[in-house]
Amino acid sequence: MDAILSARNIRKCYGSFVALKDISFDLPRGERHALIGPNGAGKSTFIACVAGQLPGVEGELLFKGHNITSLTPASLAKKGIGRTFQISRAFLGMTVMENIMAAVVISTGRWASLSRGLYRENLDKAFHLLETVALVERAADRVGDLSLGDRKRLEFGMALANDPDLLLLDEPTAGMSIKERHYLMEMVATRMEETNKTLLFVEHDIDVVMKIAQRVTVMARGAVLAAGTPGEIAANEEVQAIYLGGGH
Amino acid sequence: MTETAHPTRLSRRWSSLPGIDINWKLVIPALVLAEIINRSMGTSTTTLLTEILIFALFATSLNLLMSFGHMVSFGHSAYFGLGAYGFTLGVVKAGLPVEAAVFLGPLVAALGGLVFGALCVRLTEIYFAMLTLACAQITYTVLFQWYDFTGGDTGITGFMAPRFGLSEQGFASLTLVVVTLSIFALWWIVRSPLGLSIRAAGQDRFRAEALGLTVRRVQLSAFVIAAFFAGIAGTLHAVLNGAAFPDYAGLSLTLDSLIMVVLGGLNSFSGGIWGAIVYKLLGAFVPSFIHEWELVLGIILLAIVLTMPKGFAGLIARLGLDRKGAK
Repeated sequence: MDAILSARNIRKCYGSFVALKDISFDLPRGERHALIGPNGAGKSTFIACVAGQLPGVEGELLFKGHNITSLTPASLAKKGIGRTFQISRAFLGMTVMENIMAAVVISTGRWASLSRGLYRENLDKAFHLLETVALVERAADRVGDLSLGDRKRLEFGMALANDPDLLLLDEPTAGMSIKERHYLMEMVATRMEETNKTLLFVEHDIDVVMKIAQRVTVMARGAVLAAGTPGEIAANEEVQAIYLGGGH
Repeated sequence: MTETAHPTRLSRRWSSLPGIDINWKLVIPALVLAEIINRSMGTSTTTLLTEILIFALFATSLNLLMSFGHMVSFGHSAYFGLGAYGFTLGVVKAGLPVEAAVFLGPLVAALGGLVFGALCVRLTEIYFAMLTLACAQITYTVLFQWYDFTGGDTGITGFMAPRFGLSEQGFASLTLVVVTLSIFALWWIVRSPLGLSIRAAGQDRFRAEALGLTVRRVQLSAFVIAAFFAGIAGTLHAVLNGAAFPDYAGLSLTLDSLIMVVLGGLNSFSGGIWGAIVYKLLGAFVPSFIHEWELVLGIILLAIVLTMPKGFAGLIARLGLDRKGAK
């Protein structure tokens, strides 16, 4: 198995509270992988560790075989890890197009350029990203005026600007209607499929998980409870008891 | 693809950034009017005009940090002072001709911005602001107390004829050209990819970092640019007076510039310019009618903050005068 991301004994503590207990995990290249579990299971903490957002992470994170454990978010983005946040984070005072263009400009590494020619050079790419996330018609609108669903799609589009090999989505559908959830995640899945990129996402909507994920890891109390295909997870009695709330 | 969605149309639409537009139909007549006032009015009006221009540049340089980089600096006067002393000491100590020393002033200010900025951008929000204040106070103290080098509290005077020996009108015209070009350069920077990156880093540093931007480096760039243009303002002020004083780097000047930016309008490129005009005009005319003019200023500020939170630039926008092609 060609793992694009490998976690080895990842441990993260907040004071005396252990949020992640020696998590080991391999994510195959090109896979759409969901992290699920009850609140406080450590899913978002794990995503934040991979994204370089947390200090004091113990263990080893390997991305394409390279140790990335202590790298900054900016370095990780340059290496090919894109992400969106649990709470929508876009540049609220800018227009949709400015957000996309900012992401594109940053992805070129020429952020210090004084030439507006850089915008013209990258207009097609920015436009294509807008098309991908179906926000062309809202290009001139301020992000602060967008609905949550539009913002989440915008964030997804911005995360794609760098053409990341691994995309991390932390609760991408939180706060969205059922229709919006499926629309966004189908859009994400299609893009990942087309480009053969890897997706790791945290999601609470089991319908979305079952539909989008190829494999699922269930976490509980900072540890991995189970891992497998959606079908295997749905049939796992321990997972049923702890998380899915069913039980036969 | 719909008509509105064509990339070229998008390019035109998105390049009209709110608060960054220039209405040339307003700007060009304003520049002409400034020159007419300069040439037709008395010496005191000309000197006031020169001061307004210098402080318009100073406030605009601070505005780059505050409105676009979301970095509130309590120590921007340090770079005004370093510009003034860089020029003055270049003449007095290094023996440079004044024509050469005017280039040294802004460079010294930019160097100061690089050194202090590298420290300040390590922190954010109020801690950033406090550190900028500390850096400015260090600068002020050195200028105030290092008698052998900076002249201490008496400053450095008499080393050149004020205004390069030009008439008040001649120097005002020169200042108008330098300030216009400098503000145009700042406007260019704000609209450039660098400006977009400064705005991105200011609006959400976590998002910017996740996209691959090294936020501290961007903020340091903004800091150095702002210091450089503040240094130009400081140099012009030293040339105007033919002197440099430690007060140029003092807290009072920082507060003046902060008031100008707020008065003129945060989050607007022209905020610093409007703020300098209004603040300097109030300072020039209100004391003629009332001794306690600071009290009047306080009341006016209060009224503006309560009724026009976007300052005078917001009022101009409301009147539709900020847009291209507006009447």
